[in-house]
Amino acid sequence: MPILDGALKVGLDHYLYLSAVLFVLGMIGVMMRRNVVVILMCIELMLNAVNISFVAFSRYAENVNGQVMVFFVMTIAAAEAAVGLALAVTVFKKFREVNIRFFEHLKG
Amino acid sequence: MGKDAFEITLNIVKMILIFLVMVQLVPVLVWAERRVSGFMQNRFGPNRIGPLGLMQLLADAVKFLFKEPFFPAKGVAAMYHAAPVMALIPGALALAAIPLSSAVIVEPFQWLGREFGPYTFLAQGYDFGVGIVMVLGISSLGAYSLLMAGWGSSNKYSLLGAVRASAQMISYELALGLSLVGILMIYGTFSFQEMINQQLGQALHFNALGKEVVISWLPNWGIFYNPLGALIFFCATFAESNRLPFDLPEAEGELVAGFHTEYGGFALLMFYIGEYGHMMVASALVTVFYLGGYTMPFYEITPAYVQQAWFGGMHPNWASLLTGVVFALVMLVKVMLLLWVFIWVRWTLPRFRYDHLMDLGWKTMLPWALFNTILTAAWIAFSWR
Amino acid sequence: MLTSTDFLFYVLAFISVFFGAAVVIARNPIYSAMSLVITMISVAFLFGALDAWFLAGVQLIVYAGAVTVLFVMVLMLFDLKHEMKTFSKGLLGNGVKLIASGVTLGMLLVYIWSTYATEPTFKPLPPAATSSIKATKDLATSLFTDYIFAFEAIGALLLIIAVGAVTLSRITGGTHHADS
Repeated sequence: MPILDGALKVGLDHYLYLSAVLFVLGMIGVMMRRNVVVILMCIELMLNAVNISFVAFSRYAENVNGQVMVFFVMTIAAAEAAVGLALAVTVFKKFREVNIRFFEHLKG
Repeated sequence: MGKDAFEITLNIVKMILIFLVMVQLVPVLVWAERRVSGFMQNRFGPNRIGPLGLMQLLADAVKFLFKEPFFPAKGVAAMYHAAPVMALIPGALALAAIPLSSAVIVEPFQWLGREFGPYTFLAQGYDFGVGIVMVLGISSLGAYSLLMAGWGSSNKYSLLGAVRASAQMISYELALGLSLVGILMIYGTFSFQEMINQQLGQALHFNALGKEVVISWLPNWGIFYNPLGALIFFCATFAESNRLPFDLPEAEGELVAGFHTEYGGFALLMFYIGEYGHMMVASALVTVFYLGGYTMPFYEITPAYVQQAWFGGMHPNWASLLTGVVFALVMLVKVMLLLWVFIWVRWTLPRFRYDHLMDLGWKTMLPWALFNTILTAAWIAFSWR
Repeated sequence: MLTSTDFLFYVLAFISVFFGAAVVIARNPIYSAMSLVITMISVAFLFGALDAWFLAGVQLIVYAGAVTVLFVMVLMLFDLKHEMKTFSKGLLGNGVKLIASGVTLGMLLVYIWSTYATEPTFKPLPPAATSSIKATKDLATSLFTDYIFAFEAIGALLLIIAVGAVTLSRITGGTHHADS
């Protein structure tokens, strides 16, 4: 089947579909999960999805700018995870609670 | 059979072979460890079964295989059973990325009426071209095996051991990676093969302040170009493979047996194979980076030279294969010497306290590795080759 | 004809989506973290399928080897075996969230399909460029010339983050005195 074969041949669009699916999965997780740590994990998932599309575009356009961006995204993600987890640990040590709704009580 | 399918099959076969080599070396190492410790402590060690106690390995293997599998009552089954398998994977995959010998070159030949083209069989499982980055990445997955074992056993001692182990591995990975930057800058490549090629040559030679310096009584090895980096790297690999003096995860005085408290029989054996596999990867890496890989020191003995001079009368395919065997033996001797250093250190130094361990990693080795990087960069910038 | 790289893509895409979904769905946070590890590893090899092997190695070291280990360790210290309220409450709210996500996904997919599906597949790289050393050198040159300011800024950010994380972890109490 030549038509199906053409659609199955992996190109830029396949990587972008994958990236979109992973991004939306992470988005659902951020909106619907309650546990702070799991929310942070879902953010990492979204960042990974973005990284896939960066690298795919970089390969498609044959320049390295996309890969440099992936570097920066990884660094920021590591920093965000470190601070987020430090905050979560601090709150957990004080209040024994990781539910995101509880964090509303920290206002004022 | 297409080209892709052929290469994939070949790589799978090679990786299985390298895995088998790793597994087969473990009993020998266990025997060596027990004998060496015996001699160091002025006792005999295992000497009852077979000559020099060598059959002790077989007896141990049979004992391990026939033990009853055990599962803790409140354990998490998936993690408990996955952890020993995960312990094997990083060591085996990382060892497969390291070239263990020279490439075997097969010239075109005819067989069963068909042409078979020229082949080059590398003596490594796979080659991504970024060598060391991939090896560091894969061996950093080793922490999961410990964490899964600790969590899956539902045991306080296991969990404490696992958390200690993973914290230690993360901390020392920094010093490990940073200590390699200096030697990587000197070689200017990530590929193991090119590093080994650059360490060929007759004697140590470099440019210092515009003058050519040749030290004829030293081999052209990386350790003499970057001794501080070599020292830090070798120390950090001790912590990476959880050996004494850094074996806090399984400190038996405090934590029963650490993360493998709840394991017995074959699962425990798999953890041991993983630990010895880490040691082998560390020794092979030190050999490739600092001790010239599979090449011989002092002489300009390239694989092509050996093939010409030693096996010149033979068919080139057989000569190439025998050359590969010779260089594999050289590599094996170097790796075995380093493994002996691992055992020697284990029975010489006492264990660190945990905070001392973390202090050593973060406050001593990391700054010195950084200093080594800056020093090497300055050296390269001002005068090099 | 599908090449082995295409086949690799489909396998890795399936693994990453399956375990990505497991991150969101799993009730035990430890299982979420473990699924995240598998997703990270398959994403690393997807980078490899795109000839970015250096990034693949960095992804393994940074994400799989460091960040996710941190998540797993924190979860183990929290000891959250029995999580009662995994998902947010409210049928209406959840429905709206799911529908919004579905609409976003549909919009993204239709946009990609209409814009990029007609594009040709990747051109094979010339043999000199496929050698990872060359690619890594290009990456480093770009990083240290065009993006040097961003690189330095990220370095400063990391320093601030390190100090901040240490400060946060050394705080003994909140704004008020502890009861004990």
